[in-house]
Amino acid sequence: MTITELITVILLVVGCFFFLAGTLGVLRFPDLFSRLHALTKADNLGLGFIAAGIALHIASPWSALKIFFIWLFTLLASSTSCYLIAKFQREQHKPQNGKEQE
Amino acid sequence: MSVLIDIILAILAIYLALQSLLAPRLSQSVFLFFAFGLALALAWIRLGAVDVAITEAAIAAGFLGALFLDALRDFSVSDTEKQENTKADQSLVSAKNTNSPWLPRLALGLGLGLFLLISLEAVWEIPSGGGLTELAEAMLPASGVEHPVTAVLLNYRAYDTWLEIGVILMGLLAIFAVGGRELYRKPVMAVQDPLLRQVILFFTPVLFLFGAFLLYVGKTGPGGAFQAAVLWGAIGILLHLGGWPVFAVIPRWLRQLLLTAGLGFFLLLGFLFIAGGNALFEYPPAYAGFLILIVETLAAISIAAALTAIFANLNQMKETPNETETTT
Repeated sequence: MTITELITVILLVVGCFFFLAGTLGVLRFPDLFSRLHALTKADNLGLGFIAAGIALHIASPWSALKIFFIWLFTLLASSTSCYLIAKFQREQHKPQNGKEQE
Repeated sequence: MSVLIDIILAILAIYLALQSLLAPRLSQSVFLFFAFGLALALAWIRLGAVDVAITEAAIAAGFLGALFLDALRDFSVSDTEKQENTKADQSLVSAKNTNSPWLPRLALGLGLGLFLLISLEAVWEIPSGGGLTELAEAMLPASGVEHPVTAVLLNYRAYDTWLEIGVILMGLLAIFAVGGRELYRKPVMAVQDPLLRQVILFFTPVLFLFGAFLLYVGKTGPGGAFQAAVLWGAIGILLHLGGWPVFAVIPRWLRQLLLTAGLGFFLLLGFLFIAGGNALFEYPPAYAGFLILIVETLAAISIAAALTAIFANLNQMKETPNETETTT
């Protein structure tokens, strides 16, 4: 196993760990806002690590650039949708003090 | 190892499909359906059908997702005040269902059983013959493109593709028929959110570029008119949601031209071929590549326009006073 492969594996494992943490947060956190927080923060970081690992594995500058842009666009889209969901929730359920309606 | 991944993916897809049908709440069904679409897209990739995977992800998880979320919002708006009411209704409906006569159930069961048998039989048949793969590969140089899927879709079976474009247009016409003639009457709830508008403006050129790339790359690899059309349609839908109803501001004749250009040009080309002594949609090999690119571009524009119009109209319907909601 070369040093590049080792770094790739480490990056992928760290990425998976963050995804796992984000999923755990979605399942276990009490209300919508903390769930959103867990999902967007942890998953975007996890995706970043996985993207870095895969870019290293493919080892072609053009592919690496494309993967980087995939990550960038996902970041933009997911943070925007997180913001919109949170805003909708706050406007919709103001009197309920942010508690999610089940 | 890869068999293990395939098995997990197969189980996941079936599980998500079942859960999507059986979920107690509508919103859960919708989100499980997204997950099901993505699992299906991954399954298509595992099967080596990247074209289908892109289309599946774009249509099922993307376009249908937007439609479902829009429908879900309509439901949730009508539900918020009378949550208990609807719950009571639901229990009433389920109570009715349990007492339903056995005849429809029997018919449904028989029909589903028959369908299952037929599909099983169809799957059983495939391994015996070699299929048309070799023939399709052999004719590739004369088709004008280098990707077999595109060759099948736009050359060998161009008639099917032409009809598919027509089906989307028919769907739009059906929505027009249900929604009435006052189309694009007013801009739909202009979202006054500066952040959303900025992000939409940022993504518009990106989506356009990526759609054009998919369209062009369809000549040599996975991609093509339908995939590009969904991305361009996404531009229209996003602009519509951001408060720029592009379809409402352009003149009527331009709208109609955009909607019918793909279907019309395709058919015109077919007639020209007939006039030239060929069969319908039989491209002369010398110009095939160029003509296919034009057909694909116009088809993508038309499908994108149709998808945008479908979303814009459905998004608008709920703006009408809620008579239907009070009667239900």
